[in-house]
Parts: sequence; structure tokens; C-alpha cells
Amino acid sequence: MGNCLKINSSDDISLLRGDSVSIHGHQDQLPHEQLQQVFYPAPSVSIMPIPASSTTNSHMSEEDQIKIAKRIGLMQHLPIGTYDGTTKKARECVICMIEFCRDEAVRYLPCMHIYHVHCIDDWLMRSLTCPSCLEPVDAALLTSYETT
Amino acid sequence: MANMAVSRIKREFKEVMRSEEIVQCSIKIELVNDSWTELRGEIAGPPDTPYEGGKFVLEIKVPETYPFNPPKVRFITRIWHPNISSVTGAICLDILKDNWAAAMTLRTVLLSLQALLAAAEPDDPQDAVVAHQFKDKHDFFLLTAKHWTNAYAGGPHTFPDCDSKIQRLKDMGIDEHDARAILSKENWNLEKATECLFS
Repeated sequence: MGNCLKINSSDDISLLRGDSVSIHGHQDQLPHEQLQQVFYPAPSVSIMPIPASSTTNSHMSEEDQIKIAKRIGLMQHLPIGTYDGTTKKARECVICMIEFCRDEAVRYLPCMHIYHVHCIDDWLMRSLTCPSCLEPVDAALLTSYETT
Repeated sequence: MANMAVSRIKREFKEVMRSEEIVQCSIKIELVNDSWTELRGEIAGPPDTPYEGGKFVLEIKVPETYPFNPPKVRFITRIWHPNISSVTGAICLDILKDNWAAAMTLRTVLLSLQALLAAAEPDDPQDAVVAHQFKDKHDFFLLTAKHWTNAYAGGPHTFPDCDSKIQRLKDMGIDEHDARAILSKENWNLEKATECLFS
């Protein structure tokens, strides 16, 4: 707890170790040792990738659980920074439509759009695209991952 | 309802109220209840379409998971359009389903629906009967869409021929809307419509 609020360096390894994503109630089912305790209290956060489906958390298939674990793993590679308020960046998070506060934790997508960490994480669990420009997050992430 | 859904809808409501489209009377939005879970939208039929001059009312239901899931929208005003059910008002529009993005708002949804009225997608239909007419009997489609706009949305074009055919069926004890629907489906062929109703 707390690590994630610091500005992350470009070092991928520190990102892997430091950040955690909301996985309430499911850490015990996930194979990744590095997934740590959640850092924001959001027990209502749904981790269903497709909320419209009729399956419930308790009846999730192994396949779905693996999919979710993979997605959380992928999301951990998206850097978190703090909002400095000085640049020409977006002033508000388009998901909750609330203005960013100075030094608030924001997550950067590969397209450089920024969002509140809890807002974008909830969205990415449902769709791996940028809510603003619809750019697929995974494709861009994999490309950048391979070249570094 | 979840806090984020309510606070976002409140902000969006203000956004629509301040928008240029409101000033031009092209879109409208109002609250149905105090809990911000249901709203009523209204869009003006776009110019140079059979819907011109009509006002179309929409039911907008905001899910608890909004904005992570799209609002549920359907036409309350009856409309003759390939991508809208002439029976239920259900809409076939990608952004209201799989292509929803959290950055979209009530305003962009209403504007997208207006755009849908101006550019139908008959190959991805919601109403197969309308889509079929749109593709094969386009003149009848235009006539029917204009007639429905007049009958249900306050559109300006009247069609005495349609009205008299509907009256003929009404005289046989058929409900006005049922008569209109069957005549629309049968390309305004009174004999075929009668056959359909009484066979």
C-alpha cells in the first residue's frame, strides 16, 4: 500500500513489483504471487469483464478467471503518475467527469490519455480500449513491451 | 444507484442543458424521477430525411454500472426506420452495445441517434420488415416513414391516400395503429393488408 501513489520511473521491473490492481475477493484464486493487496477501498468494483453476461463471480469458469488474471497482469504494465496540473493534459477524468486534483494518482494509457486509477482500472476490466480514442490498449502495450 | 453513475449523470445533464443543440431545439432532455436513473430524451428529425419536422421521444435508463456500461435507450415515439423496431422502439446501434466507451455521454448518444435517423444501416437491421422495404421498395419506405412521422411525431407531411386506407380498415373494426402497421408492411396494398388481417 502506498507504493502506487509515487511517481513511477520508466523501469518496468519496479512497476511489476510495486503496483497492484483491485482484485477484491479473488487474490486467492489468482496464480500470480506478485498481486498484492488492493490499495483503494472499492469492494463494489466488479471484475467481470462482460457485466452483461449472466455468470456470477462464484460461478466463473476457470477460463474466465485466467482471462481476468491475464488482464490484471497486463494492466500492471500501464504506468501510474501523479497529476501535476501544469501541462496541457486533460483537466478532468472523462470517466467520472471530475476534475483531477494536484498530485492525484493517474494512470497513463499508451495513447497518453490519463484517468483516475480506479476509474480506468474498472473500465479496462470490461474493455481493453481507451475510453477517449478507442485505441486498443493491449496491442500498443505489447508493441512497446517487445521493443524495450 | 452507484455514486459515480449519479454524479456523472448530473454533470452530463448540465452539459446537455448548456449545449448548442438545446439552443437550436435539436435535442432535449428531462428527468423522469428524482433518483436520476431514468430520463426522457427528445431529438428532432434531421433535415432532408423523412423524419424532418418530427419530434421523437426516447426512454433513457441509466444502469447502476454507468458509465462502464451504456445507457438503455429506446424510442417511445413510434418510428419507421430499419434500425429501430416499429413494434417496441428497440434500437440497433453499435455504441449502445459493444462499441460503448466511457467517454461517451447522453449528449453524444442523442446526437448519434439523430445521425442514425439520417443514415440508416439496412444491412444491420433491427426491424427486418422495414429494412426489406428500405432496400427493395425505397419509395414506399420514404412514404411510410414520412407518414409515421406525421402520425406519431408531429411531422408536416400528410398523405390522404394512406389515411383513407387506414380508415377503411378502421371501419372493419381494426385498431388504427394495427391498420397502419399492416398497411405499412404490405406497401399500402389494401387488399393484401385485408387478406393478412382476416385470413
